[in-house]
Amino acid sequence: MSTKYDAIIIGGGHNGLINAAYLAKAGRKVLVLEKRHVLGGAAVSEEVFPGFTFSVCSYVVSLFRPHIIRELDLVKHGYNIIPMDASFQPLPDGDLGLCRWGDASRSRREIARFSKKDSEVYGEFSKVMTHMAKFAKEVIDHPAPDVASINPKELSSLLRMGKVFKNLGPELLHMNTKLLTMSSADFLDLWFESEILKGPMSVSGIIGTFLGVRSPGTAYVLLHHYMGELDGAFRSWGFSKGGTGGVSMACANAAKSFGAEIRTNANVAHVKIKNGQATGVVLANGDEIDSKIVVSNLDPNRTYLKMIGEKHLDPEITAEIKRYKLRGSSGKVNFALSGVPNFCKKREGLDFMKGDIAVVPNVDYVERAFDQAKYGEFSERPYINIVVPSLTDPTLAPPGKHVMSCFVQYAPYDIKEGPEYWPKLSEKFGDAVQETIKEYVPDIDSLVEHRQVITPWDLQETFGLTEGNIFQGELTLEQLLFQRPISGYAKYKTPIKNLWMSGSGTHPGGGIMGSGGELSAKLILNERAI
Amino acid sequence: MPIETPFHPRTSEHNKSLDWKDWGGYFAANSYNVVNDFEYFAFRNSAGLVDVTPLFKYRVTGKDAAKFLTRIMVKDINKLKINQATYCCWCDDRGMVVDDGTVMRFGEQEYFVTAADPSYSWFSRLVKRLDVQIEDLTDSYGALALQGPTSRDILKNMCDADLDSLKFFWTSSAKADGFEFKISRTGYTGDLGYELWVRNEDALKLFDAIWEAGQHYNIRMAGIKALDIARIEAGLVMNGVDYHSSLHALIPEQMSTPYELGLGWMVNLERDPFMGQRALKEEKKNGSRWATVGIDINWPDLEALYYKHGLPPHTENGAWRRSIPIYHKQSRSKQIGYATSGTWSPSLKKNIALATIEIDYADPGTEVNFEVTVEHQRKAVRAIVGKPQFFNPKRKRSVLKK
Amino acid sequence: MKNYDIIIIGGGHNGLTTATILAKKGKKVLLVEKRNVLGGIAAGEEFHPGYFTSGLLHDTSGVRQDVIKELQLEKYGLEFLNERADVTILSSSGKHVTIKADENATSASIAKFSQKDAQAYKDYKDFLNKISRVINDLMDNPPPNINVDNLTMASLVVLAKKGLKLKGLGNKTMMELLKVAPMSVADFLDEKFETDFLKAGLAAPALYGSYAAPRSAYSTINLLLWECASRNHIKGGPQALINALEKAATAAGVTIRTSAEVEKIVLEESGSIKGVRLKGGEEIYASKVAASCTPKETFLNLFDDFEIDYELDFWISKIRSRGTTAKVNLAVNKIVELNGQNIEYARTGNNFNEMEKAFDPVKYKEATSNPFLDIHIPTATDSSLAPEGHSVVSVLVHHIPYDFAEGWSEAAKNKLGEDVLNILEIYSPGIKKSVEGMEILSPEDFEQRYTLTEGHIYHGEHFVDQLITRPIPACLSYSTPVNGLYLCGSGSHPGGGITCAPGSMAAAAILK
Repeated sequence: MSTKYDAIIIGGGHNGLINAAYLAKAGRKVLVLEKRHVLGGAAVSEEVFPGFTFSVCSYVVSLFRPHIIRELDLVKHGYNIIPMDASFQPLPDGDLGLCRWGDASRSRREIARFSKKDSEVYGEFSKVMTHMAKFAKEVIDHPAPDVASINPKELSSLLRMGKVFKNLGPELLHMNTKLLTMSSADFLDLWFESEILKGPMSVSGIIGTFLGVRSPGTAYVLLHHYMGELDGAFRSWGFSKGGTGGVSMACANAAKSFGAEIRTNANVAHVKIKNGQATGVVLANGDEIDSKIVVSNLDPNRTYLKMIGEKHLDPEITAEIKRYKLRGSSGKVNFALSGVPNFCKKREGLDFMKGDIAVVPNVDYVERAFDQAKYGEFSERPYINIVVPSLTDPTLAPPGKHVMSCFVQYAPYDIKEGPEYWPKLSEKFGDAVQETIKEYVPDIDSLVEHRQVITPWDLQETFGLTEGNIFQGELTLEQLLFQRPISGYAKYKTPIKNLWMSGSGTHPGGGIMGSGGELSAKLILNERAI
Repeated sequence: MPIETPFHPRTSEHNKSLDWKDWGGYFAANSYNVVNDFEYFAFRNSAGLVDVTPLFKYRVTGKDAAKFLTRIMVKDINKLKINQATYCCWCDDRGMVVDDGTVMRFGEQEYFVTAADPSYSWFSRLVKRLDVQIEDLTDSYGALALQGPTSRDILKNMCDADLDSLKFFWTSSAKADGFEFKISRTGYTGDLGYELWVRNEDALKLFDAIWEAGQHYNIRMAGIKALDIARIEAGLVMNGVDYHSSLHALIPEQMSTPYELGLGWMVNLERDPFMGQRALKEEKKNGSRWATVGIDINWPDLEALYYKHGLPPHTENGAWRRSIPIYHKQSRSKQIGYATSGTWSPSLKKNIALATIEIDYADPGTEVNFEVTVEHQRKAVRAIVGKPQFFNPKRKRSVLKK
Repeated sequence: MKNYDIIIIGGGHNGLTTATILAKKGKKVLLVEKRNVLGGIAAGEEFHPGYFTSGLLHDTSGVRQDVIKELQLEKYGLEFLNERADVTILSSSGKHVTIKADENATSASIAKFSQKDAQAYKDYKDFLNKISRVINDLMDNPPPNINVDNLTMASLVVLAKKGLKLKGLGNKTMMELLKVAPMSVADFLDEKFETDFLKAGLAAPALYGSYAAPRSAYSTINLLLWECASRNHIKGGPQALINALEKAATAAGVTIRTSAEVEKIVLEESGSIKGVRLKGGEEIYASKVAASCTPKETFLNLFDDFEIDYELDFWISKIRSRGTTAKVNLAVNKIVELNGQNIEYARTGNNFNEMEKAFDPVKYKEATSNPFLDIHIPTATDSSLAPEGHSVVSVLVHHIPYDFAEGWSEAAKNKLGEDVLNILEIYSPGIKKSVEGMEILSPEDFEQRYTLTEGHIYHGEHFVDQLITRPIPACLSYSTPVNGLYLCGSGSHPGGGITCAPGSMAAAAILK
């Protein structure tokens, strides 16, 4: 039987589609297989209730690499991001809360209501972070150097990273160590005093992880907020028009335009392995498709333990992959609303709600939410990141009605009763979220037409994210860089020849960045694997 | 969104061009008319009135107020007498300028400081264990600059202050019809002029009183564009344009010391310790990296370039704030500095600029090449380095009554 | 006018070490101590008439052998034992296991309740043995000067050598070290062991003095550092070390003044060190001063405002030194046994959740009523510390906040004492009614008595950034931006605990 495809990509999430697009663009014959009926993986838009379209999982686009947009000509294929201007922190009891705007003076005045010092230090803080974001960019845009190796190529890539360090200067180098290791709350304490500012800033370090804002190692994610400036893509935080699935669709359209073939409802059972080499895939319905290489866009756990299977793996590798920590910690609650959920009636207009709304009035609030989760319960008063994208993109809901998307943390996958108990807790979890929101939007109950609750269990069962981890694995230092997913296989390769990886479980990690898909494709082409 | 100053009800009536800009988070009129020359000429011939409320304003009080300011400013504020004012800059430990502004002494333990950037955090961080209180008056006080030869007469007609004896860089309290305010003989035009500081609630009363008194003295509203022309002629540097605060600069090349900004005259190294003193002593010993100079741009050269294209010479409307390369006199491949702001001087009838020049080329009289773009082509014209003060009329310092 | 070559501030083990080494090299040295006794937190105290502790801290396992040799401390009566003291890990269920220096014996006693853990312990020790050379190399040498501004070939070579040493581990061990170092101690030990109280007890030293709980990332680094550096112990505890150091110092010619509190470090007009001014006004001159007190105390309290640069002041003030340790000393009128054993050192913890919950309240400036304990019964080996047949039980209590929202009133301290007694009652039934005297020291008391900023026993948290560039980049190699001022205390590399390492490396730096 002749091999029909150069590459089969398992999983039609944005990374898989980007990988396919790059390979197809280089003239390779590519097939993408998606288990679900829709493309996008966790970057998906679905009309969950008639007339209401949700970004079901991932809901904002932030770090999507601008060069991928340029190289794949994604705008032509429908990539359209509506920038977010505001970031709002409501307070209960009708307080004005804190809104941070793109307009620096306006933000300064808002912050000054709580702390005059903080309002001015905010700019100095941005300066330091912008400096250090240079390093983060270097890390994100290149494959991770292999520390264990002594070949000159690897050394030169280490050296390049070292040079960026060198250019930081001693104080910034020191700061970089702090940033990489400290907790986001401690790091922000170096500058700020007001809780309402530190609260929402600190949570950016814990999104998607099973860590608290006082957990060491959470500070460096703060950098991501400053990366946009280096990309020359200011205001890079935004909504994808038509929901986050729009990004995936643009990637899919690009891939198709280069000749890639994409099939949905195509559930891959496992990778076909012959003599330690991947030769294609076997579908759940028994069909077999051959290819020269296979690229798995699934998380490391699924890729190694289901797609490959323990019998093809060295026990030491199996042990390593079992050490890989997933520990999903978040859920999602999507509301279809009959009207605007006003988080602050004292404010004029609704502009303050057109970005994200963070329910985290202070640092202790979110730390206490974490404490509860540590012992196997979902937080009764969780950190909630809310967006009402229909305020900026009216196509998402019927006229006058709105979709409200709530990212909720903490909802630990491994609850006391065991993860399979989650379906029984689902509505209770939804209620806790609605109750929390009610403290800010007293009339929320009367606005709710429908509610969709997505627990970590659902993320695993429906979206294939093991343990419900939205980043396909925790973003802690021992699982980053040359150790993502495991050391020795951090460069998108696996112990099985011709089986590659491209998902968020590879360097540089999660979020809608597209880097895994891009860097893996470039490496595949570079090494002339096909 | 910028907010309105307490004078906005009046300034918005006058602003026929609708040309507003964001200055420190406030709406500020760029130019009240489409043609702004007349606003500039008001500074030089009669009186121009500028809303300078967006300056950041602080009251510093307490037993150690003088000690504190002396520690953080490059000038010895201990020496400032009650009602005296001084123009000053302040540095970080590396001797790099953080900001510049005016320090006024209103009482035994009461000082008033203006700044270009928000400075509350910087000042309060440095208070330490001293008995000092810092109050931010930016949003509670309005400020007007009344600048020009007839400004003294206007004020004399509307308040009780003894303006005939008020000297350059001194201040006075003033009473007018039902309200009080402070007058300082300071400004940003290099001309005879005053700045008036008033509580928000009395702002409109002050404005109206001045405007009415000014009717006989050809008072005009003046915007930021006109002010820019005047301050460049006077050789006054601007934070954020001619230099960057060391708190915001990203690399050392973007930071400047007082010596490098031409503000060395205000530094007294041989006194009680102050912030940056050690570094500035080093600089004094080892030399500066560059200097801030005035550039006198050769007009015939420019004229000739236009003639070549069959065009009459052209000058920009008003002042510009952008970086323009300055080259070695012999070689246009050797850049020795850059201009940071410049203007066609309506009074002097020539193009002038403020520039940062490598120290070896900063001596007055040095000839350099200045880049110009004529009919889409980059050329250079000759220019002469000089002191950054092109215009300095006697009336600026004149006192009528001893 | 110059009275001394150098003045050492603080007569703890590090101050004494620095002073003695310098005096032996012929320097004219004055050591000034604020309290009326030497020793700082290594000093034994009579906390109840006739009852003595052997130090606020009691772990002498990290004391550096080369200091003992260099200062000939054994000549001055020090009994140095070349292995770690036994320590018993207690479980509230009545189980216990004694961690002995002999790992086979330890493994055998673990095997009594878990075969898996007996093997895991051997693997764990194996791993520690493999990495200990690298870790001790880091701890025993001054930190490499990573001045990126003028990264020279020489410094690159030094760095490369360190890197190669890391490589010398063998690829597998190196990758494992890089993998586990950033992990939380709970994740690290959960991968290896199954028995809760054993894991808790092994993890405990990583958490002493830290603002962290078992599930805090990077706590494994502290565990590895502690395990590798703990190689010995001193008979008689910290006070015995101080006794020997004092004799050595006197013999070397160090002038020692106790009850001499430095009020201020005095500078020349040029900004260089002139000397110190004592409380009462006496000024003593020397062109060098070495401070063994905390960096925060040194720079923020012994200088006037503006005497030091803003940047220095900023970074020093940002050192994290949130005290989390308290002390309860008990005078008991009987021989105290724990879980029926006559032991000197013991740890409690029970399981990671309990330890985690002991830390949780600290974040909110609250205090747990179920802390975990680091217990020392010095009378088990030295009966002279209490009346015949009586015991001293000296307990370091974790985690107890310095910035307790309620304030450290007498009532709050009594509550703490009561909580500790209740826990001890589990392991030693009847102890409560045998207590004759009790001293309770809150972190605030540590600060008061020992001038420990925020009551932090290590002069600053042992956290990655504060270990790599300890205390701050500008003071990396014991010297400071103030000409003539050195740091020689636990705030400097390699950190706190009774090791004498900062003191001896500072002395070397001063002599250079």
